[in-house]
Amino acid sequence: MNQNRREFLRKAGLGALAGLGAAAGLFPAFALENTDLSVFSDKPVEGKVRWGMLIDTRKCLGDCTECIVRCHHDHNVPDFGKSKSEVKWIWKSEYEEAFPTASAQFQSPEVEHRRFLTLCNHCAEPPCTKACPTEATFRRWDGIVSMDYHRCIGCRFCMAACPYGSRSFNWEDPRPHVKELSNTYPTRMRGVAEKCNFCSERLVKNELPACVESCPQKALTFGDLNDTNSELRKLLAANQTMQRKPELGTLPSVFYII
Amino acid sequence: MNKFNQFLVALVAGVAVFVAVGFFLIAGHRGSASLTAADVVAQTPAAVGKGAPVDSAKCIMPVDYMRAHHMQVLDKWRKDSVRKGTRTFVNPEGAHFDKSLNTCMGCHGSNPMFCFMCHEYANVKPTCWNCHLSPMEVPQ
Amino acid sequence: MIEKALKGGRGYWTWIAFLLVVIGFGVTAYIRQLTLGLGVTGMGRDISWGVYIAQFTFLVGVAASAVMLVLPYYLHHQKAFSKIVIVGEFLAVSAALMCMLFILADMGRPDRVLNVMLYPSPHSMVFWDVMVLNGYLFLNLISGWAVLGAERKGVPPASWVKALIYISIPWAFSIHTVTAFLFAGLPGRHLWLTAVLAPRFLASAFAAGTSILILLTFILKRVANFDAGSEARTKLAVLGSYAGLANFFFLGTEFFTAFYSNIPSHMHTMQYLYFGLEGHAPLVPWMWLSLIIGLVSVGMLLSPPLRRKSGALVAACIGMVVSIWIDKGVGLVIGGFTPTPLEQIVDYMPTSTEITVTLGIWCIGMLVLTLLLKTAITVKQQA
Repeated sequence: MNQNRREFLRKAGLGALAGLGAAAGLFPAFALENTDLSVFSDKPVEGKVRWGMLIDTRKCLGDCTECIVRCHHDHNVPDFGKSKSEVKWIWKSEYEEAFPTASAQFQSPEVEHRRFLTLCNHCAEPPCTKACPTEATFRRWDGIVSMDYHRCIGCRFCMAACPYGSRSFNWEDPRPHVKELSNTYPTRMRGVAEKCNFCSERLVKNELPACVESCPQKALTFGDLNDTNSELRKLLAANQTMQRKPELGTLPSVFYII
Repeated sequence: MNKFNQFLVALVAGVAVFVAVGFFLIAGHRGSASLTAADVVAQTPAAVGKGAPVDSAKCIMPVDYMRAHHMQVLDKWRKDSVRKGTRTFVNPEGAHFDKSLNTCMGCHGSNPMFCFMCHEYANVKPTCWNCHLSPMEVPQ
Repeated sequence: MIEKALKGGRGYWTWIAFLLVVIGFGVTAYIRQLTLGLGVTGMGRDISWGVYIAQFTFLVGVAASAVMLVLPYYLHHQKAFSKIVIVGEFLAVSAALMCMLFILADMGRPDRVLNVMLYPSPHSMVFWDVMVLNGYLFLNLISGWAVLGAERKGVPPASWVKALIYISIPWAFSIHTVTAFLFAGLPGRHLWLTAVLAPRFLASAFAAGTSILILLTFILKRVANFDAGSEARTKLAVLGSYAGLANFFFLGTEFFTAFYSNIPSHMHTMQYLYFGLEGHAPLVPWMWLSLIIGLVSVGMLLSPPLRRKSGALVAACIGMVVSIWIDKGVGLVIGGFTPTPLEQIVDYMPTSTEITVTLGIWCIGMLVLTLLLKTAITVKQQA
C-alpha cells in the first residue's frame, strides 16, 4: 500500500473517532431516545422489608398438594410429564432430600416419612444472583430473589449455583404444556430460567402468596422478617426452627418447624 | 501538504461526516414522530392536580405519542416495576397509573384485535404474546 | 497473507471438504436445537450442563497451553521453539473460538448473548470469562499475524507486538483460572468447591495442550513437510510430563481430603465417578481408563529414551489427550452435578443432536486452525 494513502487512512480514522465523540456531545438526542417519562413518587426503600415464610411441617401432613396445584396453576407452570424437563416452583421432598446436611441418625419413623414443602428460599445471600452474568436474576428491594425473563440469556449458571435445586429451565416451549392458561401471571418463553417469585404479583395487590392462602391447614405463615412485631417473627422467636443447608451462608428466608 | 495539514484535513472531514449523519438522523426522527414527551407537556393544559383515579377512561398519553412510543413506554414500565419497584406513573395531566400491562389491557383488552391490526399492517412481529396472554387468549 | 490458504494440493482440499461436510451436519443439528429448544439435548433440570460446557472447559485449557511455547521462547530465548511458536498461537486462536461457539451452543437464548456486555456484572465469573477469552483470542491472533507478516517481509516485528506477546503470557494463566472460578465458587457442588481446582486446571491444560502441540508437529511434518525439530518436541514432552504429574498429584490430594475427612458430601461425587454410588456407575469405566492411560502416558513422557522415540512419543501424547479429555470433558462437568442438590442421582447421556453440534464446532475450530497454519507454513517455507 502507498505510504501516503496509509497515513491518510489512519488519520481519517482518528478524525472519524474524534467526530463521533464530538457528535455525541453536540447532540444528546443522538445517543438517547427522547422518551424520559420519569416522574417517580413511589420508590421503595431498599432493604426495609424482607419477606419470609415459616412452614410448620407438623401441620403439613399426608398427600395434600393444594398449595402446589394452586401455585402451578396461577403461575402457568407447565407440566411436561417427565423429570428431565420438569419445571417446578414448589414441591414436596423427603427429609433427607430437603435437609441432607442435617440428617439425624435414628430419626423418628414419622418424620422420616413426612414430606417437606420445598421452594426457593429467597436467600439474603443468594448464590444464583451472584452467578448471573446479566443480572436477569436479582435480589429485590424487599428481599425477593426475582427473575427478569426479558433479560435472561439461558446460560443456566443460576441452576448450577443454587444449592437447593430451586431453579428450573424451559428446555422446551412451555406454552403447549400449560394445561389451563391462567391470566394471573404470564407464561415463560423457551430458553429462560424460572423459579418461585414469592407471588410478587399478589403482594403488589396486598394479597398473601397463593400457597399460603390455599393451605387448608394454615401451615404456612408469610410476613416481614425485618418487622419484630410480625406474626412471623413471633413464631420464629417462640419455636425451634430450621433453615435448609445453613452451613452455606446463604441465609434462607424460608424456615421450617419440624 | 505536510503531515500536520493532512491530519487537520482528515479531522475536519471526519467531524463533518458525523455532524451530517447526526443531523439527518435527528431530522429524520423528528419528521417521522412529530410528538415527544416535551411537546405533549407544552400542548396540554396545566395539570389539574394529583389524586386522579388509577383507572382512567383516558389513555396515559395522547394517541400520537402512544402510536410512536408505546414500545418504549412498555419497556420502561417493565424495567421500573420489575426491577426498581417504582410502579406509579403520573402523566402530565396528573393522572396516576399502575405501570403494568394490565393497565393497558384494562381498556384495550376490550378489542381483542387492538394490537394485532396495526402490527399485521406494519408487519412487525413483537414477541410479547409468547409469554403474556394476548387479549385473544384471555379467558373472558 | 490469508490468500496462501487458498492454494493447496489434493490432500489439503479433501481435508477442507471433509471438515465442511461435518460442519454442515453440525449446523443442521444446531438449527434443530434452535427451533425445538435445548430439550433436544440430553441435559435436563438436574444435569443442566453437558458436553458443550465440558468441551468448553477442555478447550480453554488447550488455548491456555500456547503459553508453554510463548513463555520459554520469548522470556527464556529457547530457540528450539522458534519454528512452532506460531503453531501454538494459532492453536490458541482456534481453541478460544471453539470455546465461544460452545458457550453459544449451550445458551437458551443465544439471540441475547450481547446482554453480557450490555449489563456488565463484575460479580459474575461468566462476565470475566467472556472478557478474558475474547482478549486472549485477539492477543494471539494479532501478535501471531504481525510476527508472521514481519517474517514474510524479512524485517523484525514492530515493537508493539512484543508488548502484546508479554501481555498474553499472564493472560493465558488468567483464562484458565477464571474458567476454574466459574466452577469453584459455587456452594453446594462439592467436586468443584475446591481451591485446588484452578491449579489442577492449569496443570491438566498444560499436559494436554503440549501433547496436542507435539501431535500437531508430527502431522505438519507429514502433510506439510514442516519439521519443528525433535529438540522442540522433546522439550515440550518434558514440560507436558511434569504438568501431567502435577495434575495427578492434585487429583490425589482431592482423594485424600474427601476420603480421609469422611465428609459425605465431599465423598459422594468421587464415589459416583470412580466407584459408583447407590448402584449408579455409568462413568466408572471411563474414569479408570482416564486414570490408567494418563499415568502410563506421564510415565512414558518422563522416560528420556521413550520420549525420544517417535512412536512412543505419539502414543504417550494421544494417551495424555484422551486421559485429560475424559477427566475434564466428561467427569468434571457431568460428575459435578451428581448428586443433585436434592440428593438424587440422575444419569446423563448426550443425544445425537448434541454430539453432531459438538463435532460441528470441533470441525469449525479445525478448519480455522488449518487455514491459519497453512498460511503460516507457506509464509515460513517461502521466507
